[in-house]
Amino acid sequence: MMEFQPGEERGKDGRRIIKVRKEDLIGTLTKLKAEGYIHLSLITGVDRKDFIEVVYHLHSFERNEYISVKTVTYNSEVPSVTSLWKSADWEEREEYDLVGIRFIGHPNLKRMFLPENWVGHPLRKDYDLKNVQYINVDEEGEDYATFDPGDGW
Amino acid sequence: MKTGDPGILTTTLEKALEWGRSNSLWPLTFGLACCAIEMMAVQASKVDISRFGSEIFRNSPRQSDLMIVSGTVTKKMAPRVKRLYDEMPYPKYVIAMGVCVIQGGPYVEGYSVVLGVDRVIPVDVYVPGCPPTPEALTYGIITLQKKIRGEATR
Ligand code: SF4
Repeated sequence: MMEFQPGEERGKDGRRIIKVRKEDLIGTLTKLKAEGYIHLSLITGVDRKDFIEVVYHLHSFERNEYISVKTVTYNSEVPSVTSLWKSADWEEREEYDLVGIRFIGHPNLKRMFLPENWVGHPLRKDYDLKNVQYINVDEEGEDYATFDPGDGW
Repeated sequence: MKTGDPGILTTTLEKALEWGRSNSLWPLTFGLACCAIEMMAVQASKVDISRFGSEIFRNSPRQSDLMIVSGTVTKKMAPRVKRLYDEMPYPKYVIAMGVCVIQGGPYVEGYSVVLGVDRVIPVDVYVPGCPPTPEALTYGIITLQKKIRGEATR
């Protein structure tokens, strides 16, 4: 089992990587935002099998510098950062859609790309690819997922 | 001809229609992924499919009779591709361009890609490659023209 140690290290490109516990996430990000890292450029989710890693990539325009903040979650729940950055809204919805991370406190946590009734989160390691799902459009023009290949096409 | 005799050409109506259709293929402006870049090159001056009578990419499916499916067809796009195909008037033809469209290509193990557009709409000519060169697509169009005239061999 992989262990998670809070702390700070340097990435291959010299970028600062700050590892924090889930509880300290909002505090750390608030501090970094005050320090000038005002642009949230990306949120990524990584399925490490034992836990899920969530990475926040921040950018400072003044210093022209990127910084990564990593945290882990064992129950797929992470506090939402939509209160700090409005742009986190869709990023977090995307993470929820594809990796299945639930962001606590998100105002509108719905799927971003896949239809609402899609089963599972496809970028999880335990996603079952053999159980093929199809997408079709109903009368109103809304997408829906189906297991039946004969439905529509 | 200089003698003033009228030139006479005998043919069947069927043949004349086929000849006309094969030399005025109007493709639909429709690109889904990276293959579409090569499709644009086919239309531009270097390769130039207008030499074969299909110069104008129509913006409406109602005015076109050739659909070049160029690029990955995702599951979300598949019902839309089918709808565009249904909106085209007969006679209509489909060229499947690139391995993505033929059987899924690099995304064959993905969750989101249709493994072959022929599961959704019927295909006349397959042009393999990732992406096929403009020359390959031109060859595909010429093959389709032969097919329309009933000359194509497998
Ligand atoms: S066949 Fe290759 S070039 Fe064409 S859409 Fe697929 S990945 Fe892109």
